[in-house]
Order: sequence, then structure tokens, then C-alpha cells
Amino acid sequence: MGATTLERAGPQPRPDVGVAARARRFVDRYLLFAYTGLAIIYLLLPIAVILLFSFNNPSGRRNFVWTEFSIDAWLNPLGIPGLASAVTLSLIIALVSTLVATALGTLMAIALVRYEFRGSRLTNALIFLPMATPEIVMGASLLTLFVSFGGPPFFPLSLFTILIAHILFNISYVVVTVRARLAGFPRHLEEAAMDLGANEWATFWKVTFPLILPGIIAAALLAFSLSIDDFVITNFTSGRTQTFPMFIYAQARVGVPVQVYVIGSIIFLVAVISVGLTTLAGRRQAAKDFEPIRKM
Amino acid sequence: MQRRRALIPYLLLAPGLLWLLFFFAWPLVQVFVASFWSGSVERGYSFSLSNWVNYPTAIEPVLPHVGRSLLYSATATVLTLLIAYPLAYTIAMRGGRAKNLLLFLIVAPFFTSFLLRTLSWKILLGDSGVIFGPLKDAGLLPPEFRVLATPMAVVAGITYNFLPFMTLPIYVALEKVDFRLVEAARDLYAGPWRRQGTVVGAIVGGGLVAGLALAFGWSPAIPTILAALVGAIIGRFLISEAFVRVTFPLSLPGVFAGSLLTFIPAMGDYVNAEFLGNPDSRMLGNVIQNRFLTQNDFPEASALSFILMGGILVIVMIYTRVLGTDQLTQSRV
Amino acid sequence: MPDSIDRSIEITRRRFLAGSAMAGFAAFLAACGTQGTGTAAPTGTSGTPATPPPSTAPVETKGVEATYSAELNWANWCCYLDVDPNDDTKWKTLEDFKAANGTTVNYQEVIDENEGFVASISNQITAGQDPGWDIIVVTDWMVARLVRLGWVEQFSLNNMPNYVANVRDVYKDQDWDPTMDHHAPWQTGMTGIGYDPTKTGELTSLKSLFEVNSKWKGKTEYLTEMRDSIGLTMLALGLDPRNPTRDGADQAVAAMLKARSDGIVRDVAGNYYTEDLVSGAAVLCMAWSGDVVGLASDAPNIKFLFPDEGVMFWTDNAVIPKGAVHKGTAELMIDWCYVPEHQAQIEAGISYVTPVKGVKELYEASTDQKALAEDPLRFPPAEIEPKLVQFGILSEEDEKYFNEQFAKVIGV
Repeated sequence: MGATTLERAGPQPRPDVGVAARARRFVDRYLLFAYTGLAIIYLLLPIAVILLFSFNNPSGRRNFVWTEFSIDAWLNPLGIPGLASAVTLSLIIALVSTLVATALGTLMAIALVRYEFRGSRLTNALIFLPMATPEIVMGASLLTLFVSFGGPPFFPLSLFTILIAHILFNISYVVVTVRARLAGFPRHLEEAAMDLGANEWATFWKVTFPLILPGIIAAALLAFSLSIDDFVITNFTSGRTQTFPMFIYAQARVGVPVQVYVIGSIIFLVAVISVGLTTLAGRRQAAKDFEPIRKM
Repeated sequence: MQRRRALIPYLLLAPGLLWLLFFFAWPLVQVFVASFWSGSVERGYSFSLSNWVNYPTAIEPVLPHVGRSLLYSATATVLTLLIAYPLAYTIAMRGGRAKNLLLFLIVAPFFTSFLLRTLSWKILLGDSGVIFGPLKDAGLLPPEFRVLATPMAVVAGITYNFLPFMTLPIYVALEKVDFRLVEAARDLYAGPWRRQGTVVGAIVGGGLVAGLALAFGWSPAIPTILAALVGAIIGRFLISEAFVRVTFPLSLPGVFAGSLLTFIPAMGDYVNAEFLGNPDSRMLGNVIQNRFLTQNDFPEASALSFILMGGILVIVMIYTRVLGTDQLTQSRV
Repeated sequence: MPDSIDRSIEITRRRFLAGSAMAGFAAFLAACGTQGTGTAAPTGTSGTPATPPPSTAPVETKGVEATYSAELNWANWCCYLDVDPNDDTKWKTLEDFKAANGTTVNYQEVIDENEGFVASISNQITAGQDPGWDIIVVTDWMVARLVRLGWVEQFSLNNMPNYVANVRDVYKDQDWDPTMDHHAPWQTGMTGIGYDPTKTGELTSLKSLFEVNSKWKGKTEYLTEMRDSIGLTMLALGLDPRNPTRDGADQAVAAMLKARSDGIVRDVAGNYYTEDLVSGAAVLCMAWSGDVVGLASDAPNIKFLFPDEGVMFWTDNAVIPKGAVHKGTAELMIDWCYVPEHQAQIEAGISYVTPVKGVKELYEASTDQKALAEDPLRFPPAEIEPKLVQFGILSEEDEKYFNEQFAKVIGV
């Protein structure tokens, strides 16, 4: 390291001009964007197929041959018995379990990263183990646990037990994701805040929390996608209820109906469009914020 | 006051930890005990420490499956990393106000059902489907070529399905990198390109593909040379010194998190092998599924699960050591 | 008067059992041992079978007629009931039942495989709790296992006159429920060959599944359902699946493994073999009759073959799990479906074989459903009858052996 810097002392080509620099700008501007575009297309290819086939009018029950264009399924997206309640249940479970797991997991992540304490090794192992456990083992052992509590009317298998299971497997993913944000986090900002008079609580909310927020949001997104698509564990803990993935797996025996494709498309579109709108609103708000300055 | 401070980590941990202990660790003890049972559902089970032989008896016939799980998961993790890193980098560094939208675009496909996504891939990658059909008609591919019902499809499925789990952690780690550091690094090092990148890139690219080819049974020659070339180009022209010395190390916690979130669940995965593979490409997850559900052999399924979990923990420990723990899991003071 | 005293005893008994389940759990902590109520699998002390405690379900009546409860919980496979043509979020039969008798049926199509589903209620049954469902529909080999374990309720046949009168005689000849009071056949399906004659040519024999022929090499699929795959293979080898022996299993498994190593087999699949048939990735499959009917419009060239050697047939059956809360109403529901007019309505939307007498005649007499009476997959013609083979019921040890050997074919 020392020798290299000594060699490099002396007149240097200015980094802003020259072929190499222009090439770097080209790469930065075009290649990266092109790559991102390709990657997003790759991610969205199956969604495009799902969207396309939601407009299909299959002659039989199975929806994998394009027959003819039709918006019938879109006009009647809930027209399969049991579909509406399954979708509602899945959405509720996903939202609630995401909220709770994100909260619990973020607290754990903060404790693990910020503090040295006895048992941190064990806690780490306990975080990784749920991800390593085969789902069927986790589902079956949870069911055994619930049954041993006595079952109905004391401990009915229902929305409640599904929630417990979903929060359980989500916690690990949240902890690992938030920790990626917290690790290497510069403490000096917080120390500065506290030097300036803020107590721990205020420091956390005004300094730490906004800075780790992207990590928390990312963790919440991952937890949501895990919960809304979980099948095996939910199968064991659902009792008399049925979630959307369970519905789809059962229907797959004869053929997933077109309405399911419609609902899948709707979920995707709602998610993306709502964020798109928020982004646009953010842009407009920022423009409005800057107007007085620009007018000056 | 001092004592209150010492309590804080425990208070923060408590709700989550209790949840894990009560709903996960405790049932897991039961599973561990079940791995020492002998008997059957109808005749009843009995516990005995001498049933430790359940473990070697369970694992010995399925060693190939263990190997496959390792191979497929590791391959998928590396592939996911290669695909996700530039994606996360672009969003974090160049995303601007569209960051959230781009993140949602990455995660939202996974709000839909796994079955639907897999069915869509089967339609796309069908033997005579929209992609391969025209290629075969044009004579660019041999008519017996197929992707579905091969190990390649399984790895592709795992890679696709875990992409957001790799991208998002890398993104959150990169997004907090202070870009002024990167600029300073660019100013300090002569020229933006890494001189030794060519050689390193060629070795990495060629080595990866050679290893893959040998493991999956393809002929290694041409793909390795191509990969080495691509690696060399990337190393020479696309990776800057500043990146290697500043950006990448700062993003390591994200890479660590992402690879854990991909590799660990992938090891126990069974759906991709079930829907996209064939009888020669089943993974350990399929074995556990079969022992548990079809054969109702709870001791064997439990033993296999614990071997899987233990193996994963060991691998994670080694991985953590190699990357250096403190940097990845502690905050800088 | 006697009812209310009975009821209070029932409730106390249930509480006691629940408490003892918890106590058993705690005792397990200490003993870490042989009996675990509520451990990861149904257990008993070594040597005793895992029978559950006596049912704590409140018995509705002990008379000729059961009363109709306010609700009923029914778990079934997908698409085994008729959807209301005027309101496609409801099932017509359930609507009719509710209109006639006032019971709201919580019908959930949650079953997608026998083992997974039973695994989700087995803990409850062995703990003596309400399993959550009053009617479940499982395949006959699973029914045999449940009867053997004591996990199903016995019907009060005087509540089910239509069932007794109208169940077809062919179902009465088996040894795992000879009194026909633990299960009621729901629908019967057949497993034969699904193939594309335009690509393979006309086929007649099961032996084609094991022949190296360039037309279907690498494009053949077997089923993950053990009894279907081993059954058809045994037929191809000239063995009799009605009396399955371990030696027969060995031969069948060896034949299938050889076919795999010869490169004939593309995959051993669940019901997504249909996707491969339609896309052309597979041209010769072990297939279920109902599936092939469903493909008729998407892929008209796919046909179902009744091979020379024989066709496996299996039945999905309605049973009442042990501890079901609304046993009487469950019996009445099943009985309702055994009225020929009601069954004709159900059968019109399903393409499997009905277990109820008199349905074919109703179709023939109707104005617009005559074609259904001619459908060989709903009403197999007389010449097919002798070819229908049902897989023999296995003992627990044999079942384990068969599953272990077959696991090699699947690749696990």
C-alpha cells in the first residue's frame, strides 16, 4: 500500500477527462441502466405471462393454452366459491404478521448490533434456525404445540394460530435484513445528537430511526411476500380456514381458474401503482417545496 | 442507571426472543426427541438413546441428495449475487426518487403465488414454447434440447425465487454508503479502472463456470473460455478501484445478509425440485417431505431435519468467520 | 332432561381431557419418554396402538332421525361439487341443503393430497379434540388406514336410508369396511394411460410405458401416487395388484427404475403431467380419467386409453373423522347426496364415476343431458368393468415397505 501511493505521487491524469473517465461515465449512465432494465424485465416476465393469461378464455378448466381474448374474468374476478374469503384472509394475515414481525425483528436487530451481551451467540443461532428448518417440520411441530394446549374452545386453530406461525418465520428474515442496515452504522451521528442535548428516546426517533428506515421497509416487504405466499406451514395451522395459497394449490389439481390469475395481477398492480403514485406525489411535493426558492 | 443500561438489550430482545423460544425452540426440542424414537404410528413409539443410529441410517442413502442441495443452493446463491448486486447498486446509487418504485417492482412479483409464477416459467421455457420453439425451428438448438425437468431448471427456479432476498439487503447496505467516500477514492486512485481486474475477473469467471460444468455434467471447454473472457472484460472495464476498495467492503453486510437469506432457505427447498426437476435432481427437502408425509417415518424425518439444520449452522459459522464477524454484525463505534 | 345431564358430563369430560393433554405435555418434559400426548406424532406407550380417548363430541340424538345443526364443516378436494350456475360463488347442492334444512355448510376445498391433509388433523384426533371437520373426503387406502387406527366415526345407518339403498353394489365387496358404515364412496376415478396418438400412434398395452421407443423416449411420465404407478406396472408385468406382495413391489420398482435408466422417463409427476401433455413435453403418461376429460378442449388430440391389461380404479370417500362435532348432520348431508336427483346435479359438473344407482337412468330420461349417459368415463361400459382393478389393501408394514421402495422411483 505504501509503495503504491508513493509511486502514484506526482502529476496524475485528472480524473474527469480522458477516455477512461468518459468510458466510466458511459458505463455509469447507460450500461447500468440497461442492465437494470434487463433485470427488471427478467423479474417481471412471469407477471407478464400471468397478466396475459388473465385475459384468456380457456375452453377447458386448465389455463395454459391461449385460446381467445376475453375480459370476462376481469368483470367477475371473485366468481369462484371460496376465492373471496381466501384472498381476504391472506391479505389480513400478511399485513398483521408483517407489522408485528417487523416490530419485533427490528428491536432484536438493534439489540444484537448495538450491544454486547451474554447469549448473543445463542440468539444468533436461534435467528438462523427457523430459516434452516424444513417448513413441514416447523408446521407439524407448531400444530402439535397448539393441539397440546387443548384445542377448541381454548385454543382454536384459526386466523390466530396462522398469525402466530407467520410472525414466527418472518422474525428471522426481518432481523437479518435490518442488521444489514445497522452494521457499520456510524454512531457519531447519534453521539452528536446526544451531545446536543437529546435524550436516548429522541435520538432514536429523530436520528437513528430515519436512517435505518430503508432497512425496515425492505424487511417489511420481504416479510409480506413470505407471508402472502406461504403454503406448507399455513396448511398445518389453519384449522377450518383457507388462505389464498391453499386455495390455489387445491384448485391446481383440476386447473387454476382464470380468476386466480386476475387476482394475482390485481395484487401486483395495486402494489406497484400505489408506490408509483406516492413517488409521483413526492416529486410534485418537492417541486412545490422548491418553488419559492426558484421564484426568488 | 448503569444497571438500567445493562438491561436494555435484554428488553429489546425479549418480545422477539420469547416468541422464538416458545413457538419455535420448544417444539423443536420435541422434534429432536422424536429423532430418537423407534416404532410406528400404529404400534406406538418409544424413546431410547440407543436410537442415535437413526441419524446415520437416515442420511446414508441420501448423501447424493445432500450433495445436490449443497450444489444447487450454492450455485443459486452465487448466481443470485451476480444478478442482484449490479441491480441493487444501480437502484441505490442512481435510483433517485424512483428508488421505492424500483424496489417494489423487484418484490411485487413475489406477492403472487409461487404456483402461478412457476407455471408461467414453464410456459415460457417449454420445450417448444415461445423461447425455444422458434430457436429449434431455426435450427439453432437441437430438437431434444430442454431446460425443464433438468437440474438447470431447478437452479434457475431457486435463483429467480430468491432474487429479492438477495437484492434488498444489498440495497439497504449500499444505500447508506456515503458517496463522498467513493468520490474521494476515485480522486485518490489513478484512473477509475482496476489494473489487475483483468486477471482476477478471468480467473473468477472461468473458475465458476468450469466448476459448474463439471458439477452438472456439461462439457467445460467452451463455456469456461467464454466465461473467462466475460470475466476479464468486466474486471478490466467495469470494476473500478474505488469500487473494490471502498464500495464493496461497505456493502459486505448486505452481501452477507443476502447470501444467508438465499442459501439457508434454499438448502431446505423442495418445491423447485418437485415442479421443475426430474427424479435425478431431487434435493434433501424432497426426501424430508417424503419421509414425513408419505412414509410417516417421523424419527427419520426428524433426524434428517436436524442434520440439515446442523449442517447449515456449521456452514454459516464458517462463512461468518471467513468474512469477518465484527464488520458484518456490529456497528462502528 | 337426560340430554342436559349428558351434556354437562360431556363438557366436564372435554375439559378434563384438555387438562390431561397439558399435564401429559408437562410429564413429557420430565420423562422425555415413551408416551407423548401431543408430541410430534401420534404416539402411545410402546406396544399399544395409538387409539384416541372416547369421543367427546356431543351426541346429537340417539334415535331414528338426527337433528340438523346450524352449521357443518366439510373439507373436500377441488371441484367435487356443482357450482350454482346463477351465482358462481356458491355451490348449488349446499344451497339446496340449506334451503331445505337450515344448515349452513362451511365447505372448503382444502384437500390437495391425502397425507398432507390427514397430517393436519391427526394430532387433534389422537388428543381427543374436535378435528375441525365433520366430513372429510379421502382415498380408499387412506380410509383403510383411518379405520385401522380408529380415527373415523361409525355411521348410524338409520340416518342414511338413501345411502344404504343407492350405493352401487360394486363398492360393497371389500374387507376394510365390509359393513359399509365407516365410509361413503364419493366419486370413483380411473388410472390408465393418457397419450397423444398423433405422436405415438395407436397404443393398446401398458407395456408401452416401459418400451424404449423413439416416439416416446424421454417423453413418458409416471405418477407419484404409489398405488397407481406400482399397480399399472404390476399389470404390465402380468402380476395382480389386487394381491400385492413385496416380491411384486420389487419387480415393479425394478421395472420402473430400469425404464428411468433407459431414458424413457421424463419425470415422475403429480397432476401437472397434464401441463406436459398439453405442451407436448410428454406424449405418454400414466393419467387419471377425469384429468384427460378436462383436457379435451385445450388439446383434443390427447386421449385416455383403457389398456388391455387393465385399469386401476380408486375411490374418494366421505368419512366422518373421530370427534366430529356435528356427526348427525354429517350423515344427513352425505345421505342427501345419495338421492339420485341430487347426485345427478352434482355429477353433471364432475367427470368421474358416480357411486350412486339410478343416475344414468335419470340422464337418459332427461331432455338435455343424454350425452352424459353415454360418457364412458362417467359410466364405464360393461366391457370395461372386468378390466377395472382396485389395489389391494396393505398392512402397515407392507405399506411402509412399498412406500420405501417406491421412493427410489420418485428419486428420494
